Amino acid sequence: MAISRRDVLLGSAGALGAASFSFPAPAIADSEPIKIGCLAAMTGPSSAPTIGFNRGVNFAVEAINAAGGVKGRKIEIVMRDTQGDPTKAVNATQELISQVKVHAIWGPFNSGEALATTPIMARAKIPDIHPCVVETLIDPTKYPNAFRMAPSNSQWDDAVRNYCLNVLKVKKIAVIGDTTGYGVTAVGASVAAFKKDGADVVYQANIDATQPDMTPDMLRAKNAGSEAIVVWSVTTGMEARMFNTRAAMNWDVAFVGHPSLASGDIAGLVEKPENWKKVYAIGYKSCSYDAAGKLPPKSQELVDRLTKAGIALNDTLLWWIAGGIDAVELFAKAIETSGSTEGPGIIAYLNGLNKYPGYFGTYTFTPTQHNGYPTEDIVMSEASTARNGTFALAPGYS
Amino acid sequence: MLASILASGLAAGAIYALVGVTYNTMFSTSRVMSFTAGQLAMLGGVFGSMFTLKLGVPAIAGFVLTLIGCALIGIITEFVAVRPVLKSLDQHLYVLSTLAVALMIQQVAAIKWGTEPQPFPRLIGWGTGVTDEKFWLPVVACAITILGLEYLYRRTLVGRAFLAIAEDNFAARALGLPERNLRIASYALAGVIGGIAGFSGGELLLAFFANGALLNFYGFVPVALGGLGNNRGAIIGGLALGLFQQAANFMVGGIFSSVAVFTLFIVVLLTAPQGLFGASTARRV
Repeated sequence: MAISRRDVLLGSAGALGAASFSFPAPAIADSEPIKIGCLAAMTGPSSAPTIGFNRGVNFAVEAINAAGGVKGRKIEIVMRDTQGDPTKAVNATQELISQVKVHAIWGPFNSGEALATTPIMARAKIPDIHPCVVETLIDPTKYPNAFRMAPSNSQWDDAVRNYCLNVLKVKKIAVIGDTTGYGVTAVGASVAAFKKDGADVVYQANIDATQPDMTPDMLRAKNAGSEAIVVWSVTTGMEARMFNTRAAMNWDVAFVGHPSLASGDIAGLVEKPENWKKVYAIGYKSCSYDAAGKLPPKSQELVDRLTKAGIALNDTLLWWIAGGIDAVELFAKAIETSGSTEGPGIIAYLNGLNKYPGYFGTYTFTPTQHNGYPTEDIVMSEASTARNGTFALAPGYS
Repeated sequence: MLASILASGLAAGAIYALVGVTYNTMFSTSRVMSFTAGQLAMLGGVFGSMFTLKLGVPAIAGFVLTLIGCALIGIITEFVAVRPVLKSLDQHLYVLSTLAVALMIQQVAAIKWGTEPQPFPRLIGWGTGVTDEKFWLPVVACAITILGLEYLYRRTLVGRAFLAIAEDNFAARALGLPERNLRIASYALAGVIGGIAGFSGGELLLAFFANGALLNFYGFVPVALGGLGNNRGAIIGGLALGLFQQAANFMVGGIFSSVAVFTLFIVVLLTAPQGLFGASTARRV
């Protein structure tokens, strides 16, 4: 039979039309791995938390996958090294969303990066869990997809104030920070909150972190009658100099404040080990041991599991590892409960989370509150008592 | 309080003065203000801590290795950031090239050494309180360095050749002086002086990558105050700056003391642009 040009045209049009009909999606999607993107500063100066978080993430993923995955689907972590650089974090976020097509993102791990990436993730409606402290990163109206599983700055501030006023029972406070944007903001907020609670802020200062001699500020704080010095800084050199100056002045005032007061770097910077005593850094109930040296049972169980799995604890913090595990398990639970990897389902699950017992903390989210970590789980630790990533509770806790 | 102002003010001032001399030493043979001076002093602290604490080298050997390391960085600066721009000094390209090298040094130090200050060992163990060695060691190091430089410049042939190059580059070359080699040697010498500043001030400033930017600025102030190329002016300017800064720390506190230093700096520059001890030069028209 001869085929006319008209037949060819008709056949082509028919084929094109048939190709445009929708076919049912193949069942392959249900067996595809669940892709969780991870924005991690794996190298560079701010890589220490990432190392800890990643140990937890890998531990949790291996455990879930070994148990058969989430409804038969394996979890796959797609890690991107941001080097702590917001520009690299933005590029990595865009790549994870548009090319890798991840189902959820864990991270980034510092506020500078998160300030840049959070609006991008919000536009793409990608569920995001992060541990960054800056207040403005959480706004359920602007960023309904973003959830914080660690304390915010104001929660740290509340915990420090509570310890000074209700546990140490001191009223005359000195508040000192460094001259970075963080130091200036944190000192301002802390002073305002102390005054609101009726405390007498007798001295406040922002000190250049490279200032070699802390005697002038410490002398002024002492002359003003300070009964406790609250420190908001991440600069261990400045903190160690203040401890050394306190010893040289024969002053036994307590330092209370930022977690960096417990940084291992300080051990080499204090002139004598006893200069680091009576220093209380922000810590967490789940990662603090009591006077008998015992961790809470759930944390001890985790430490035992981690030790059995050969995961090192002595060069990191337990809360980083626990936080990494919790983040992965939260996503897994969300996908299991919602029955899909679609963003709205994961976000709806997280919005309804009520007192979820994680290893790091007990999380609660609502549609209007995405700060999930309870303030009452924040405690003060004896700064110089690090043991396998945990610390001794500061005096005053039963 | 006065003892504390004197002790820490003179110590910091001596470090600033040595960084000022580092600037001058590089400037004298090349007419280039190399903004690597503060970084050389920072490396003095970092190398010192690395050799003596991390690698366990005895203090004297660690000191020598630190100076060699800083001298090498000085020579690299001459090759990378100074020599290529010497032909167009009037375009001040050296500001960019030396700042670029300074930033590279700082970034590499931050990545390889870490962004947290690291301890520096006690070297001698003499003194406590305001007589602690961390306060007097930089002052002694500054005094010895100045005496050494005076001896070099006035009593040795190489020193006189340095002076000749600094005085009149073209005439010195016409007389057959190896200008290029002398310039390299002066950058190595500047590295050594910066290394001495950082090593002797290590106990006070710690081994910290961020000290470089700080010393770049506070080392430049005495040069501006004392007059470009004038070592005596830099020493007096540096010590005065340290004392003024520490007094301001006691009187008005951290942030405001920096403002006080900047204000003084600007006032001096406005009233005596050639520096307090510098001579104003005639300009050919």
